[in-house]
Parts: sequence; C-alpha cells; structure tokens
Amino acid sequence: MQMVAQNVSRSFGSTRALDDVSVALEPGFVHALVGENGAGKSTLLKILAGAERADQGQVLLDGQPFAPRSLREATERGVGLVFQEITINPALSVAENVFLGQMRRFRRAGLLSNRRLERAAQEVLDSFSAGISVSQPLTSLDLGQWKCIEIARALASRPRVLLLDESTAFLNHREVDSVLSAMAALKRQDMVVAFVSHHLAEVERVADRLTILKDGRKVGDFDAGTISRDEIQARMVGRGVSVTASTGGSARLHGEPVFSADAIASAPRLAPMSLALRRGEVVGLAGLKGAGGERVMELIAGVVGPDNGSMTLAGRPYRARRPAAAWRQGVAYLPGDRTAEGLILDASVLDNLLMARPPRRGPFFDRGRAARSATELIARLRIKTSSKDARSGLLSGGNLQKVVLGKCLAIRPSLLLLHNPTRGVDVGARMEIYRILRDEAAAGLAIVVLSEDLHELTTLSDRILVMRRGEVAFQIDDPPAATEDDIIRHMT
Amino acid sequence: MDQSDMIDTGVASPGQAVPGQAVPDQAPPHQATGRFSRDAVKRLFPVLLLLVLMAAFSVLSPRFLRFANLMIVAEQAVVLLVAALGMTFVIIAGSIDLSVGAIVALAALATAWTAPTLGIAAIVPACLVGLACGIVNGVVVAKGKVPSFIVTLGAMVVYRGIVLFFTRGAPISIDDEGFLDVFSGRVFGVPTSALIALLLVVVTVVILDRTVFGREVRAVGGGERIAFLTGIGVDRTKIALFALLGLLCGMAGLLQGARAMAATAQLGEGLELDVIAAVVVGGTPLTGGIGGIGGTILGALIITVLSNGMNSIGLDPYFQNIVKGLVLVGSVFVTIDRKKIGIIK
Repeated sequence: MQMVAQNVSRSFGSTRALDDVSVALEPGFVHALVGENGAGKSTLLKILAGAERADQGQVLLDGQPFAPRSLREATERGVGLVFQEITINPALSVAENVFLGQMRRFRRAGLLSNRRLERAAQEVLDSFSAGISVSQPLTSLDLGQWKCIEIARALASRPRVLLLDESTAFLNHREVDSVLSAMAALKRQDMVVAFVSHHLAEVERVADRLTILKDGRKVGDFDAGTISRDEIQARMVGRGVSVTASTGGSARLHGEPVFSADAIASAPRLAPMSLALRRGEVVGLAGLKGAGGERVMELIAGVVGPDNGSMTLAGRPYRARRPAAAWRQGVAYLPGDRTAEGLILDASVLDNLLMARPPRRGPFFDRGRAARSATELIARLRIKTSSKDARSGLLSGGNLQKVVLGKCLAIRPSLLLLHNPTRGVDVGARMEIYRILRDEAAAGLAIVVLSEDLHELTTLSDRILVMRRGEVAFQIDDPPAATEDDIIRHMT
Repeated sequence: MDQSDMIDTGVASPGQAVPGQAVPDQAPPHQATGRFSRDAVKRLFPVLLLLVLMAAFSVLSPRFLRFANLMIVAEQAVVLLVAALGMTFVIIAGSIDLSVGAIVALAALATAWTAPTLGIAAIVPACLVGLACGIVNGVVVAKGKVPSFIVTLGAMVVYRGIVLFFTRGAPISIDDEGFLDVFSGRVFGVPTSALIALLLVVVTVVILDRTVFGREVRAVGGGERIAFLTGIGVDRTKIALFALLGLLCGMAGLLQGARAMAATAQLGEGLELDVIAAVVVGGTPLTGGIGGIGGTILGALIITVLSNGMNSIGLDPYFQNIVKGLVLVGSVFVTIDRKKIGIIK
C-alpha cells in the first residue's frame, strides 16, 4: 500500500499552515516529517490520517482518493493515527485500553469476555515485540510503554499505514526507545510508517527518509544518511544554527556562593545530598525518572519539605515548607509540565507573567506598573503575542514556555530551578530560551536545570551531576566535552 | 441628496438599520470576524434574556413596568444578589458553597435575637455569625482537603439544624422600628436594602477586579496546582473567599429578616440553588477561573424578574418551577464555551 499527498494546502483563518506540499510514503520505510513548531508537519500528518481536510490537493491511497469523513472510516480504510497526547485511561486495564472503542467485538451473550479480550490484546502487543504483558497494571508501566499501548490500539484494526504525531514529545530517552523499536518492527512488516518529531536524534535512529517543512512549504525530501543533523537543522530554521557551548566557566568558579544545601534528604527518593552554587553558575541534573533529580528540585522549591539537612540562600538560612515561601525568598521554579503546572491557559499573558509577585499598591493591583512590567518582559523574552492581554492559550508551545520563564524572571530571582525547560519546544524557540538563560547567568543568576534532554544539559551546564537511585553517581566537570553515552553510562 | 434619502429610509424603517448595528457596536472588537455574531450572542445573552423577559412581562401585564413594581423586584432581588456576589468569588475559584441558605437563616436568627437590644447594631452579630460559618467552611475545605461540595453539603445540614434547635420551629419576630426603618425602609420610594446591595456590588467589584486577592482567586480557579507552585497561598485564599461569602450571607440574612420582619426556621431554604443559578446564568462557569460580578447581577435580576413576572401575569404557581429550571439550563446551553471546556461532567 502506498500513500501519496498531492499538492495539498490548508489554511486556518489567515494563516497558511500548508502550502502546496506533496509527499509519497512507501511501505517498508519509516518516514519522518520534521520542521519547527508551525511549519505544518502536524497539519500534514493529520491530513494524511484523514483527521483534517485539505483545502486544495488530495491524498491518494493506492491510487484511490482518500478523504474519510471520520477517524472510524479512516481506520476501516487501513490508516491508523497515534496522537501526541497521552490517551491512555489509567482506570482501565492494558487490554481494555488496547481495544478502547472496539470492546463490543468481545461480547458473548451481551457480556464482555475478558479472557478473549486479553488474549487478543496480548497478540497485538506481541506483534511488534512491545514487551508488555496484559496482566501488568498500567501504573507499573512507563510513559513509553503507555505509548506502545496506544500504538497497539491503532494496530488493533490491522492498518496498513501507521501515522504517529510527535508521539515521543513527553517521553524520556529510555521510554523513547520502546516507541522507536516498535516503529522499526512495524517497518519490517512492510507497513507504511510516518512520524512527526522534534528530536533529530530520534529521526536519525529510525527514519529511512525525511521530509523537511518550513513555514508550511516543503523544503525537500532526503534519504536518511545523506544529510547531517546540522544541515537538517539549518534547513528547518532557514539559517545557520550554531549551538554554542556555555561560556566563561572559569570566571564563574570564582563567583561568590549564592546557594548551598547541606545533606538534604527525602527518604526513600533521595539520600542525603549536598550542593553549592555560585553566582552565575549553571548546574545540570541528569538521571532517569525517580533517580532523585525531581526530588532535589521539589525540596529546594518548597513543594515537599526535607526530612533533614539545611540550606542557605545569599548567606542566610533558607527554609521553604511551601512554594510561596521559596518564591518570597527569591527562588523561582519552572515545573516540568507546562500546561498542568506552569501557566493558566485561560488567563492573559500579563496575568501569567506577573502571577508570582503581582505589583501592588496596598491591597490593590497596580495596573500601570503591571502593564509596564509585562511589556518589558514580552520584549525581553521576544514572546510572540498579539497583545499582553491576549489569552495565553492562543500562544504556541515555545511562546508559552517563554511566558513560564518570564514568570520566573519577573521576580528577579537569585536562584532559578528549571525542569525540562524546552520540552515540546521547537529548535528556534529553544535557541532563544538558551540565549536568555545564558544572559541571565552572565548577569549573576544561579541556575539548576534538570532535563531529560542530555544535549540540553551539556549545552547549558557548567557542571553536570548524574543522579542514580537517589544519589549523585558522578559529576561531569567539563560538559561540552562529554558525550551523551558518557552520561547515560552513569545513569543506568 | 443621496445621503438624505438614506437617512429618510433609515428613519422610516428602523427595524432594518438600527438593531442590526446596535449589537456589534456594543461588543468589544474581536479578531475572528467569522465567529463574530455567535460570540456576541454568547457574551450579550444575559442582557438580551433580561430585556426579552422584561419586554414580554410588560406586554402581558401592564403593571409590571410600573415604578412601584420595579422597586418590589429590586427588593426581592436583594437577598439573592448579596449572597450571589460572594458565591461569584467561590465559583470563580473553582469551589461551591451549598450552605448559603442555612447561613442566611442563622444570621437572620442572630438578627432577631439582638435587634430588640442592639437596634441597628444587630448588623454586627449578623455579620459575625455569617463570617464564622464561612471561615469554618473555608478551613475545612482548605486545610482538611475535603471537596467543597461535601463540606458545605454537611454544613448546610448542620447550620440549618442549629436554627431548628434554637427556634424549635417557631418564628421569632423582628419589630424594632429603628432597625426596620434602616434595613427595610424606603428612601424616595427606593428600598434601602437595594441601596445597601448597590454599595456591596461596588465593594465586591473593586475586590474582584482591582485587588491582588481578586487575581489570586482567579488564579486558584484557573489552575490550583499552578497557583500553588507559583507561590500563591492557595489555602489562605480559599479560607478568605469562603469567609467573604459567609460575611455577605450574614448581611443577606439580616436583610431577609428585616424584610420578613421575622426569623423562621425555613428562611432561605433552597436559596443556595437560586444563588448558584444566578451566578451561572450570569456567565460564570462552574469550572472556575473566569467570570465576573457584572454577569451575576444580571443573573440575579433574571431569576427575580422571572419569578416576579410570572406572578404578575398570574401564571399557575405550580407551573413556575418548570419554567425556572428550563431557563437555567437553556441559558447555559447558549452561553457555555464548549471549546475551552474539554470535558463536561
């Protein structure tokens, strides 16, 4: 089965999301669609999947026009789609999640036959060596395995084409492995597999062909291996991108101490740990989920109280039993989940930027000062928004993340805690966030960054602490020289 | 020449030109012109509904629009409105309070007990009783981490039980002249209670729209976890907003007692549902984060006008609740923004 998009275009309002794009997907190949946020790759994938209609052009499936009226019809024609968001219902079992929406197939005299349901689900999971047993509780599986259950759900209706929309966006690198090997297994079964990804490392690992999109137009089709990662990046952005390493490390080693933690612990997640930061120093935390990095952040940010140990900030004892106390003393925290923990989508950009310490005159909100601060932050962080009063939900992912960062910087913190600061953010916005962070560090801000993106850690940090089972397993003093393999070796 | 022609035809058939333009002119400019009219209808629906109701009732009953009847509407709306002002804060913060009717009854009881000795100063015990009830609700919700629906459902029964225990079901009359003059009298035909309500409207609008506390209320309702991680004292804010609602219910209880000239065990029964309906009909969704006092005023007026109007035109009282319920669901059906609320429970 072959899937072809011919000269498809799609507009949303006045925005031209796709402009005359053609691609051909062949069975037995993994096809990657890459580009910045807003380049049109998700729109293209959704048009291929039949979830969106093209304004012009058409999609052909084995030469026949393919324009399903519903996702159900698309499924019947043999095209499956895996969404970016997690769509697993944790209240159901693995098998129920695989056959969600199709469970009537396993009815016998009106009752559900659990045995047949589980046997069928296990068959689907084994067909691409997911390594998941239907008897496992969902809570014992990681997000990558959840994504594999979603892939199994798409495969349950025996499609010949499988399309994945940024399915690895919320996964860490170990979880990503399960999804990537699932794609490779399906390719060997002669399926058409296409996916959208921000992570060029993943693209390099599994893609046979890739299509680069920019501003809704196709830049070109390439065979994997004939184009370097730098070149892909340059074509996505349309200009040369240099990922410069952090600078001035030696100068920072002599800065004055800002923060210190002495034997802070939180059983059983974190063994007693000590940490000291100087002005302008960026310390990276690496480690698998549950290795203790998140707990370090939460202890400093006041989300959970430490069992014991003590901390100092700017020479004074620092205690934060709740986040309010941490912010008041000048510690800002950018949490890992942007929309659930970072900002309120229904609130305006201004409201989000100034949420932590709203300008006040007595009990009253100082509107004049708020407008000036918000305008200044929007300009400084180059947040693309129609107005400071626009609803935040209208902004793109990269700009939303800049708003969360702006919220942190608005209080002029002396210590900034970042958890996955560029998750789900495109290359262009990522570079800008790195630039902002480097400027802030150069101005004396101490930063702790916890990230699943190892390249991010080596780019930003002056030193990296690798966490394993609640302890610092290794310290990397020269991050730019470290390879991702070096770090992973100490993590596992 | 052409221009004067156009003006002439415009005057000749006002039905064509004027209403067609009036609606968009009132609405703030919006970017997506395609969805313009539907958005405008959603935003202006409470106003339109109120106007349509008033027009309909004035056609059906000539005495509806008379000054005397309008003042009665105002008087009838006061208790509902004052409690709904506080409820707006609670609902914007994503919580709910089912105990408002019982707090109103308890505050009326405090008023009836103290008015003979304290006179006008009975306002102090009435408000203190309301405040105390609100603080109790807030503390259990915020510190006990029990959902507000459950806490206030229990509180409703307890507060009502306290009223029953002390009154033994018998009404306690309020007949202090000075007290009644101030709280249920009239100034140039206007009920003093309506003037008090107007003052409270101004105060609550300032609190919600102009203070840091008001913005914290919105932040808590927009995303409690986000507000907590951003250093907002979520517990403190919740206790404060339940306390504010309690205080306003104390005031509402005093006004209700003054109007009925008695405190009874049944006072304010079912009021909580009218109060929640007023807030929701006014366009403040139960999901929290958004909404405002302006809508609540309209919502309270719609509910009062509906009741008063149905009585004015002599509609079967046993039929009236059916209409009220349909208007409530119908108006939310029109105004709800289904795009922003992913899951409707």
